Amino acid sequence: MTTDEPYRWLDAIANRREYIRDQLKGATPVLAWSRPEGILLFGVGTGGSKVFEIYDRQALAALGHPVDIERVRQTVIEAAHREGFTRAPEDVTLRRLLNFSLGPALKAGFEQIFSAPLMVECIFAEVGPTVATDVLARVNFDGTFRFAPHGIAVAHTDAPNEAAATEWLRSQSRDDVTLAQAARLALAVWRALTAEGQPFAAPDPAVALAAPLAVEGRTLEIALLARGGADRVRYRALTADDLA
Amino acid sequence: MTGDGDFLSLLPKSAFATARGDKPVAGLEATTVFAFHYADGVIVAGDHRATAGNVVFSDRIEKILELDRHSLMAIAGSPSIAIEMARTLQTAFDYYRRSQLQPMSLAAKMRALSRLLHENLPATLQGFGTVAPIFAGLDPTTGLPSIFYYDPLGAQFEGVAHAGSGSGSGSIKSVLHFLEQWGRPKPKEMTLAQAVVLANRLLMTAAEFDTATGGVDPLRNDFATIKLLGPAGVRTLAVDEQAQFWREAPL
Repeated sequence: MTTDEPYRWLDAIANRREYIRDQLKGATPVLAWSRPEGILLFGVGTGGSKVFEIYDRQALAALGHPVDIERVRQTVIEAAHREGFTRAPEDVTLRRLLNFSLGPALKAGFEQIFSAPLMVECIFAEVGPTVATDVLARVNFDGTFRFAPHGIAVAHTDAPNEAAATEWLRSQSRDDVTLAQAARLALAVWRALTAEGQPFAAPDPAVALAAPLAVEGRTLEIALLARGGADRVRYRALTADDLA
Repeated sequence: MTGDGDFLSLLPKSAFATARGDKPVAGLEATTVFAFHYADGVIVAGDHRATAGNVVFSDRIEKILELDRHSLMAIAGSPSIAIEMARTLQTAFDYYRRSQLQPMSLAAKMRALSRLLHENLPATLQGFGTVAPIFAGLDPTTGLPSIFYYDPLGAQFEGVAHAGSGSGSGSIKSVLHFLEQWGRPKPKEMTLAQAVVLANRLLMTAAEFDTATGGVDPLRNDFATIKLLGPAGVRTLAVDEQAQFWREAPL
């Protein structure tokens, strides 16, 4: 080993991080919103490309390269089902999946500088008995993750805009907002984040609520991790008709 | 990561035992379970008794197990293995749907159960791990429910009108056959209320002739386990609902 190899490695990691961020720039945001009836997950894609069921109480919303989203999705689904089968479904928790399965795998993948990087940013959600027990986690391409403390998580390629969108949604999070209205506010945030070349402009809630729940040429991918009820499986894909 | 949606192929990687006949538990046997078509779909019912030889081990066992929103398994035989088979299938069906982003076909579900039964052959041949289940599933392409029954080696047969399994099923199948031929109404023409009352009466009849069938006594508010399969999927019938049908039924 020569003395300059650690510096080459640091350079390579920095270049890799810059490359991934550059590649992710065209990706559109996704979000998750913890609400009294459950956790709303929202994305706009091509159908089955952004929002996914993971396990009985867990779901994923992701942006990035479709192949890499698929690898992350399959990895977590496998881990969750093996855990749920060998122990019990109640033992499948987001914290354990992220700490012991996905987090290490993403970090290892990111640091393998001679292999293609995983270009994916995501949100994982786990519905609990109450809003306070819901778990939302914002997971980055390098394996780092943080739990969203206030029941809202947005994943976007621009960090300041992501923070501003999260804050705006938090300001709209009231008990009298229905699920259908929440979906429209989520769409308004999506439109604001995908507007070309500008900082996040807070949408007008009245305009957002009056707007149709549709994006021309794209498919809205909306799901609810339903809270309560007798059904073991909580994931429900929602259509615009469900949210009329 | 395998990516083919086959949960059973993941199991050998697990450090835990599987439901594939490698660790059979001897002793208990259970039941009487049956299924028949009624006007709105399929009704699947079972008693609550598990026996070990001439000993009643439990009168509270659940034998009708929901595998997913569109399929049910009624277990007869060794409950330890049958319940593990159901749990394996639940996970396999969920795993496939989630990983492949589409539900498993009815044919594939039936084959998955066949495969588990076939892999249980060593326990079956040793005489203590026999499982002979009934499977009811909804075909997503037609929205129609079907009934299938299996022999302990895994061969599957469609129960066009009805199917029964377990030690008390002989008398039940005889009555159902009679009603299909000469009943007014026939079981397939019955309303939900009529079908539920019939199911409980069938189990009470079976219990008269089979000591391994029991735990159903409407006079003590002990009703059969009943699950329904229709175009909307699986529904579990509550005891209160059964009690109401029973009270309102003509003698």
